[in-house]
Amino acid sequence: MSMNRSVKLKPNAADLLIVAAVLLLAALALFRFFPGGARDGAQSAVVSIDGKIVERLPLFQRAQRSYTANGYTLRVSVEDGGVRVAQSDCPTQDCVHTGVISRRGQSIVCLPARLTVTIEGAPDGYDLVVGQGVAE
Amino acid sequence: MTSTRRIALCAVLAALALTFSYLESFFPLALFVPLPGVKLGLANIVTVFALYFLGASSALAILLVRCLLGALFAGNASALIFSLLGGFSAMLVMILLRRCRIFSIFGVSIGGAAAHNCGQILAALLTLGNAAPLAYLPVLLLVSLLTGSLTGLIAALLFRSMAHFPMDHI
Ligand SMILES: [Zn+2]
Repeated sequence: MSMNRSVKLKPNAADLLIVAAVLLLAALALFRFFPGGARDGAQSAVVSIDGKIVERLPLFQRAQRSYTANGYTLRVSVEDGGVRVAQSDCPTQDCVHTGVISRRGQSIVCLPARLTVTIEGAPDGYDLVVGQGVAE
Repeated sequence: MTSTRRIALCAVLAALALTFSYLESFFPLALFVPLPGVKLGLANIVTVFALYFLGASSALAILLVRCLLGALFAGNASALIFSLLGGFSAMLVMILLRRCRIFSIFGVSIGGAAAHNCGQILAALLTLGNAAPLAYLPVLLLVSLLTGSLTGLIAALLFRSMAHFPMDHI
Protein backbone atom coordinates (compact mmCIF):
# COMPACT_ATOMS: atom_id res chain seq x y z
CA MET A 1 0.00 0.00 0.00
CA SER A 2 1.50 3.30 -1.11
CA MET A 3 -0.28 5.04 1.81
CA ASN A 4 2.12 3.43 4.25
CA ARG A 5 5.06 5.42 2.97
CA SER A 6 3.41 8.70 4.00
CA VAL A 7 2.77 7.48 7.56
CA LYS A 8 5.17 9.01 10.08
CA LEU A 9 6.16 6.11 12.34
CA LYS A 10 8.76 7.86 14.51
CA PRO A 11 7.87 10.39 17.20
CA ASN A 12 8.88 13.90 16.11
CA ALA A 13 9.12 17.42 17.52
CA ALA A 14 5.56 18.29 16.46
CA ASP A 15 4.25 15.52 18.72
CA LEU A 16 5.64 17.45 21.67
CA LEU A 17 3.06 20.16 20.88
CA ILE A 18 0.31 17.62 21.51
CA VAL A 19 1.94 16.41 24.73
CA ALA A 20 2.29 20.04 25.86
CA ALA A 21 -1.37 20.74 25.03
CA VAL A 22 -2.51 17.71 27.07
CA LEU A 23 -0.31 18.73 30.02
CA LEU A 24 -1.61 22.31 29.83
CA LEU A 25 -5.21 21.08 29.83
CA ALA A 26 -4.48 18.80 32.80
CA ALA A 27 -2.88 21.69 34.71
CA LEU A 28 -5.81 24.01 33.94
CA ALA A 29 -8.30 21.37 35.09
CA LEU A 30 -6.23 20.77 38.23
CA PHE A 31 -6.14 24.45 39.24
CA ARG A 32 -9.78 24.92 38.37
CA PHE A 33 -10.98 22.05 40.52
CA PHE A 34 -8.43 22.10 43.33
CA PRO A 35 -8.14 25.86 43.91
CA GLY A 36 -7.26 25.97 47.58
CA GLY A 37 -5.93 22.52 48.08
CA ALA A 38 -5.54 22.91 51.82
CA ARG A 39 -8.08 21.75 54.36
CA ASP A 40 -10.05 24.43 56.09
CA GLY A 41 -12.82 24.34 58.62
CA ALA A 42 -15.38 26.09 56.44
CA GLN A 43 -15.65 23.29 53.91
CA SER A 44 -18.69 21.13 53.51
CA ALA A 45 -19.54 17.89 51.77
CA VAL A 46 -22.30 18.46 49.25
CA VAL A 47 -24.43 15.38 48.61
CA SER A 48 -26.31 15.32 45.30
CA ILE A 49 -28.72 12.79 43.88
CA ASP A 50 -29.71 12.91 40.21
CA GLY A 51 -27.84 16.20 39.89
CA LYS A 52 -29.81 17.92 42.66
CA ILE A 53 -28.22 18.94 45.94
CA VAL A 54 -29.93 17.10 48.80
CA GLU A 55 -27.73 18.04 51.75
CA ARG A 56 -24.65 19.99 52.82
CA LEU A 57 -22.70 18.43 55.67
CA PRO A 58 -20.07 20.62 57.39
CA LEU A 59 -16.78 18.73 57.47
CA PHE A 60 -15.85 19.82 60.99
CA GLN A 61 -18.86 18.06 62.48
CA ARG A 62 -19.11 14.32 62.85
CA ALA A 63 -22.18 12.97 61.06
CA GLN A 64 -23.69 9.74 59.75
CA ARG A 65 -26.34 9.86 57.05
CA SER A 66 -28.14 7.29 54.96
CA TYR A 67 -29.39 8.13 51.48
CA THR A 68 -31.60 6.02 49.29
CA ALA A 69 -31.20 6.82 45.62
CA ASN A 70 -32.39 4.92 42.56
CA GLY A 71 -32.87 1.73 44.55
CA TYR A 72 -29.54 1.77 46.41
CA THR A 73 -28.81 2.78 49.96
CA LEU A 74 -25.53 4.50 50.86
CA ARG A 75 -24.24 5.37 54.29
CA VAL A 76 -22.13 8.56 54.26
CA SER A 77 -19.90 9.27 57.20
CA VAL A 78 -18.20 12.58 58.09
CA GLU A 79 -15.32 12.40 60.55
CA ASP A 80 -11.91 13.99 61.19
CA GLY A 81 -12.44 16.68 58.55
CA GLY A 82 -13.14 14.19 55.76
CA VAL A 83 -16.07 12.34 54.27
CA ARG A 84 -16.45 8.82 52.91
CA VAL A 85 -19.10 6.40 51.78
CA ALA A 86 -18.88 3.88 54.60
CA GLN A 87 -21.33 1.40 53.17
CA SER A 88 -23.26 0.90 49.96
CA ASP A 89 -25.28 -1.86 48.38
CA CYS A 90 -24.43 -0.75 44.84
CA PRO A 91 -22.94 -3.47 42.60
CA THR A 92 -19.63 -1.79 41.71
CA GLN A 93 -18.63 -0.47 45.19
CA ASP A 94 -16.47 2.21 43.54
CA CYS A 95 -17.90 4.79 45.92
CA VAL A 96 -16.79 2.80 48.97
CA HIS A 97 -13.34 2.10 47.48
CA THR A 98 -12.75 5.80 46.87
CA GLY A 99 -12.20 6.13 50.62
CA VAL A 100 -11.93 9.42 52.49
CA ILE A 101 -11.87 12.74 50.65
CA SER A 102 -11.00 15.96 52.46
CA ARG A 103 -9.92 18.65 50.00
CA ARG A 104 -12.03 21.13 48.10
CA GLY A 105 -12.91 19.90 44.59
CA GLN A 106 -12.54 16.21 45.40
CA SER A 107 -15.55 14.00 44.90
CA ILE A 108 -16.96 10.56 45.43
CA VAL A 109 -19.20 9.28 42.68
CA CYS A 110 -21.68 6.41 42.80
CA LEU A 111 -22.88 5.97 39.25
CA PRO A 112 -25.46 3.21 39.91
CA ALA A 113 -27.19 5.35 42.56
CA ARG A 114 -26.45 8.58 40.64
CA LEU A 115 -25.20 10.05 43.91
CA THR A 116 -22.16 12.32 44.31
CA VAL A 117 -20.39 13.75 47.33
CA THR A 118 -18.28 16.83 46.50
CA ILE A 119 -16.28 18.99 48.85
CA GLU A 120 -16.96 22.68 48.47
CA GLY A 121 -15.82 25.81 50.27
CA ALA A 122 -18.22 27.71 52.50
CA PRO A 123 -21.14 29.21 50.58
CA ASP A 124 -21.17 33.03 50.29
CA GLY A 125 -22.39 34.84 53.37
CA TYR A 126 -21.73 31.82 55.52
CA ASP A 127 -18.80 33.08 57.52
CA LEU A 128 -17.53 30.53 59.90
CA VAL A 129 -14.74 30.72 62.44
CA VAL A 130 -13.63 27.44 63.87
CA GLY A 131 -11.70 27.68 67.10
CA GLN A 132 -8.57 25.65 66.75
CA GLY A 133 -4.97 25.67 67.79
CA VAL A 134 -5.61 26.80 71.34
CA ALA A 135 -6.13 23.45 72.94
CA GLU A 136 -3.87 21.57 70.55
CA MET B 1 -8.30 -4.37 -1.89
CA THR B 2 -11.60 -5.89 -2.95
CA SER B 3 -14.70 -4.79 -1.06
CA THR B 4 -15.27 -8.36 0.21
CA ARG B 5 -11.80 -8.44 1.70
CA ARG B 6 -12.28 -4.98 3.14
CA ILE B 7 -15.51 -6.02 4.86
CA ALA B 8 -13.87 -9.19 6.19
CA LEU B 9 -10.93 -7.17 7.53
CA CYS B 10 -13.33 -4.69 9.17
CA ALA B 11 -15.13 -7.57 10.90
CA VAL B 12 -11.85 -9.03 12.18
CA LEU B 13 -10.77 -5.61 13.46
CA ALA B 14 -14.14 -5.06 15.16
CA ALA B 15 -13.74 -8.43 16.91
CA LEU B 16 -10.21 -7.43 17.95
CA ALA B 17 -11.47 -4.10 19.32
CA LEU B 18 -14.13 -5.94 21.34
CA THR B 19 -11.42 -8.20 22.76
CA PHE B 20 -9.39 -5.15 23.85
CA SER B 21 -12.51 -3.61 25.44
CA TYR B 22 -13.06 -6.83 27.36
CA LEU B 23 -9.43 -7.22 28.45
CA GLU B 24 -9.09 -3.67 29.74
CA SER B 25 -12.05 -4.22 32.06
CA PHE B 26 -9.62 -6.29 34.17
CA PHE B 27 -7.32 -3.29 34.66
CA PRO B 28 -8.09 -1.77 38.09
CA LEU B 29 -8.51 1.78 36.80
CA ALA B 30 -11.28 2.24 39.37
CA LEU B 31 -8.58 2.45 42.05
CA PHE B 32 -7.46 5.80 40.61
CA VAL B 33 -10.64 6.98 38.93
CA PRO B 34 -13.71 5.65 40.74
CA LEU B 35 -16.08 6.29 37.84
CA PRO B 36 -17.62 3.07 36.56
CA GLY B 37 -17.81 3.08 32.78
CA VAL B 38 -14.48 4.89 32.32
CA LYS B 39 -11.98 2.76 30.41
CA LEU B 40 -8.30 3.00 29.53
CA GLY B 41 -8.95 3.08 25.78
CA LEU B 42 -6.81 0.17 24.59
CA ALA B 43 -9.38 -0.50 21.87
CA ASN B 44 -8.12 2.74 20.32
CA ILE B 45 -5.19 0.67 18.96
CA VAL B 46 -7.67 -0.74 16.46
CA THR B 47 -9.06 2.72 15.67
CA VAL B 48 -5.55 4.07 14.96
CA PHE B 49 -4.69 1.10 12.78
CA ALA B 50 -8.00 1.21 10.87
CA LEU B 51 -7.75 4.97 10.37
CA TYR B 52 -4.30 4.73 8.79
CA PHE B 53 -4.78 1.47 6.92
CA LEU B 54 -8.41 1.54 5.78
CA GLY B 55 -9.40 5.21 6.06
CA ALA B 56 -11.88 7.19 8.15
CA SER B 57 -15.16 5.62 6.96
CA SER B 58 -14.10 2.03 7.68
CA ALA B 59 -12.61 3.09 11.02
CA LEU B 60 -15.93 4.73 11.94
CA ALA B 61 -17.89 1.60 10.99
CA ILE B 62 -15.58 -0.57 13.14
CA LEU B 63 -15.94 1.86 16.05
CA LEU B 64 -19.74 1.85 15.84
CA VAL B 65 -19.88 -1.97 15.77
CA ARG B 66 -17.48 -2.16 18.73
CA CYS B 67 -19.53 0.26 20.84
CA LEU B 68 -22.91 -1.31 20.07
CA LEU B 69 -21.81 -4.95 20.45
CA GLY B 70 -19.76 -4.08 23.54
CA ALA B 71 -22.81 -2.59 25.27
CA LEU B 72 -24.93 -5.54 24.13
CA PHE B 73 -22.48 -8.15 25.50
CA ALA B 74 -22.05 -6.25 28.75
CA GLY B 75 -25.83 -5.94 28.97
CA ASN B 76 -25.24 -2.40 30.07
CA ALA B 77 -26.90 0.47 28.21
CA SER B 78 -25.29 3.14 30.39
CA ALA B 79 -21.84 1.93 29.28
CA LEU B 80 -22.85 2.74 25.70
CA ILE B 81 -22.77 6.51 26.21
CA PHE B 82 -19.23 6.21 27.69
CA SER B 83 -17.86 4.18 24.80
CA LEU B 84 -19.68 6.23 22.14
CA LEU B 85 -18.60 9.65 23.45
CA GLY B 86 -15.07 8.39 24.22
CA GLY B 87 -14.65 6.54 20.94
CA PHE B 88 -16.06 9.24 18.68
CA SER B 89 -14.16 12.09 20.38
CA ALA B 90 -10.95 10.12 19.88
CA MET B 91 -11.83 9.38 16.26
CA LEU B 92 -12.65 13.01 15.45
CA VAL B 93 -9.46 14.39 17.01
CA MET B 94 -7.30 11.74 15.32
CA ILE B 95 -8.84 12.45 11.89
CA LEU B 96 -8.10 16.17 12.36
CA LEU B 97 -4.56 15.68 13.71
CA ARG B 98 -3.73 13.24 10.93
CA ARG B 99 -4.87 15.79 8.34
CA CYS B 100 -2.31 18.27 9.74
CA ARG B 101 0.39 15.93 8.35
CA ILE B 102 3.05 17.21 10.76
CA PHE B 103 2.34 14.79 13.61
CA SER B 104 3.62 11.21 13.76
CA ILE B 105 1.41 8.26 14.63
CA PHE B 106 2.50 8.84 18.27
CA GLY B 107 1.21 12.41 18.40
CA VAL B 108 -2.04 11.41 16.71
CA SER B 109 -2.53 8.52 19.18
CA ILE B 110 -1.83 10.71 22.23
CA GLY B 111 -4.30 13.35 21.00
CA GLY B 112 -6.85 10.60 20.41
CA ALA B 113 -6.32 9.09 23.88
CA ALA B 114 -6.73 12.51 25.53
CA ALA B 115 -9.93 13.13 23.54
CA HIS B 116 -11.15 9.63 24.48
CA ASN B 117 -10.85 10.42 28.18
CA CYS B 118 -12.41 13.89 27.81
CA GLY B 119 -15.34 12.22 26.04
CA GLN B 120 -15.73 9.74 28.88
CA ILE B 121 -15.74 12.55 31.48
CA LEU B 122 -18.43 14.25 29.38
CA ALA B 123 -20.43 11.01 29.48
CA ALA B 124 -20.10 10.91 33.29
CA LEU B 125 -21.17 14.58 33.50
CA LEU B 126 -24.27 13.84 31.42
CA THR B 127 -25.10 10.68 33.37
CA LEU B 128 -24.75 12.28 36.80
CA GLY B 129 -26.08 15.74 35.94
CA ASN B 130 -23.41 17.60 37.91
CA ALA B 131 -19.77 18.66 37.66
CA ALA B 132 -18.28 16.19 40.16
CA PRO B 133 -16.58 13.93 37.54
CA LEU B 134 -14.50 16.89 36.28
CA ALA B 135 -12.28 16.37 39.33
CA TYR B 136 -10.92 13.25 37.59
CA LEU B 137 -10.03 15.04 34.34
CA PRO B 138 -6.39 15.86 35.34
CA VAL B 139 -5.49 12.29 36.27
CA LEU B 140 -7.28 10.89 33.19
CA LEU B 141 -5.38 13.32 30.94
CA LEU B 142 -2.06 12.17 32.45
CA VAL B 143 -3.12 8.55 31.97
CA SER B 144 -3.89 9.34 28.33
CA LEU B 145 -0.23 10.34 27.74
CA LEU B 146 0.71 6.76 28.67
CA THR B 147 -2.09 4.95 26.85
CA GLY B 148 -1.65 7.20 23.79
CA SER B 149 2.10 6.48 23.63
CA LEU B 150 1.43 2.75 24.03
CA THR B 151 -1.23 2.80 21.30
CA GLY B 152 1.07 4.73 18.98
CA LEU B 153 3.97 2.36 19.66
CA ILE B 154 1.91 -0.75 18.90
CA ALA B 155 0.50 0.77 15.71
CA ALA B 156 3.99 1.92 14.61
CA LEU B 157 5.48 -1.54 15.21
CA LEU B 158 2.61 -3.07 13.29
CA PHE B 159 3.12 -0.81 10.27
CA ARG B 160 6.89 -1.31 10.41
CA SER B 161 6.55 -5.09 10.25
CA MET B 162 3.95 -4.79 7.52
CA ALA B 163 6.42 -2.83 5.38
CA HIS B 164 8.29 -6.09 4.82
CA PHE B 165 5.11 -7.84 3.82
CA PRO B 166 3.73 -7.73 0.28
CA MET B 167 0.40 -5.90 0.61
CA ASP B 168 -0.74 -6.11 -2.97
CA HIS B 169 -2.63 -9.37 -2.63
CA ILE B 170 -4.63 -8.31 0.43
ZN1 LIG C 1 -21.55 2.99 44.64
